[in-house]
Amino acid sequence: MPEEKKFYLTKEGLERLKKEYADLKELKLAKTKGESPKLLHSEDLNPEYLVFQEDISFLQSRIIELENIFKNSAMINAPKKEKQNIIDLGATILVEVDGQKDEFTLVGSLEANPTIGKISNESPVGKALLGHRVGDAVIVSSPIQTVYKVKKIKYKIS
Amino acid sequence: MKEFLDFFINTGTLKRKFRKGWLVHQIKNSESTAEHIFRMAIIAWILGSKKKLNLERVIKMALIHDLCEVYAPDLTPYDPLLPKNSKKALEVLKKWPKFTPSLKIKKYKNKYKSELEGLNKLISKLPLSLKAEIKNLWLDFEKGLTKEGRFVKQVDKVENLLQGIEYWKKYGKIQHRLWMRWIKEIIDDPVLLEFIKVLENKFC
Repeated sequence: MPEEKKFYLTKEGLERLKKEYADLKELKLAKTKGESPKLLHSEDLNPEYLVFQEDISFLQSRIIELENIFKNSAMINAPKKEKQNIIDLGATILVEVDGQKDEFTLVGSLEANPTIGKISNESPVGKALLGHRVGDAVIVSSPIQTVYKVKKIKYKIS
Repeated sequence: MKEFLDFFINTGTLKRKFRKGWLVHQIKNSESTAEHIFRMAIIAWILGSKKKLNLERVIKMALIHDLCEVYAPDLTPYDPLLPKNSKKALEVLKKWPKFTPSLKIKKYKNKYKSELEGLNKLISKLPLSLKAEIKNLWLDFEKGLTKEGRFVKQVDKVENLLQGIEYWKKYGKIQHRLWMRWIKEIIDDPVLLEFIKVLENKFC
């Protein structure tokens, strides 16, 4: 049997999903009972869940998906101090590429959002950067080659 | 039926809404939002069929992902760097736009807010269940909540890349090296990465 895909999550990302899971379970329970859940009147509720509540099958499939994520999740922790000079998941990296400076944080696929600088460890650039240190020139190879010069590595996670 | 007619008339305006990214590149007869949606839905369906995905959800999501642009502005990654002077704009386009982490987050939130408002306005008169379905699909696309959402979000970028490379071949006005660099930072889906490799080998 093929190995199940691992979902790498930061502590913050895992907590957000757990909160969503608890809220969706409550909404589903109330929906099946035909009640108006207390949660709907809470200011704390993410407005997106109200949309999910309209579609019970989507609500259910999202709950199953979250359960699968929890079953196969692995937490991203900061490495030991002596290894914090090496790029690993959770690292925030300052790079220079084509003469421009940029900053990425390397995360798992589920938390990736390149628009805000969160790059997936499964993207070609994310994969290439893993394991490198400050001063390394990382080549992302293909017909068109790009060189990422690693300028700084820091771990903002605990 | 009146609410559907009004909705179809409004969505039809995307046939003539030309994508801002190409306008700033001064591409002649550039594509409209509806044309982008059309090919994106085809790509999502065909490449999506190589994965274990709910294809109905995938195709619907591709079809609705930019409907918000009936009312919301079409923003490019270069905003707010672009000057009004078109010659100066071409200079800006020679580099990939880079922003500080806090500005990236601010831009992202502003875009999300204006697009959500646009979508809400467009679907406001539709029946509740349809309104909920469209909003659910759009939120999934924006937030990458499901595997379908994460896939379609990346297909959007891949269609954009393909169009950019085609324009580069035809007009030479696109910085294709920067585009290929960008796509390798943002795509992590194995099927789409395989497709990009084929595209790169053919054109670059």
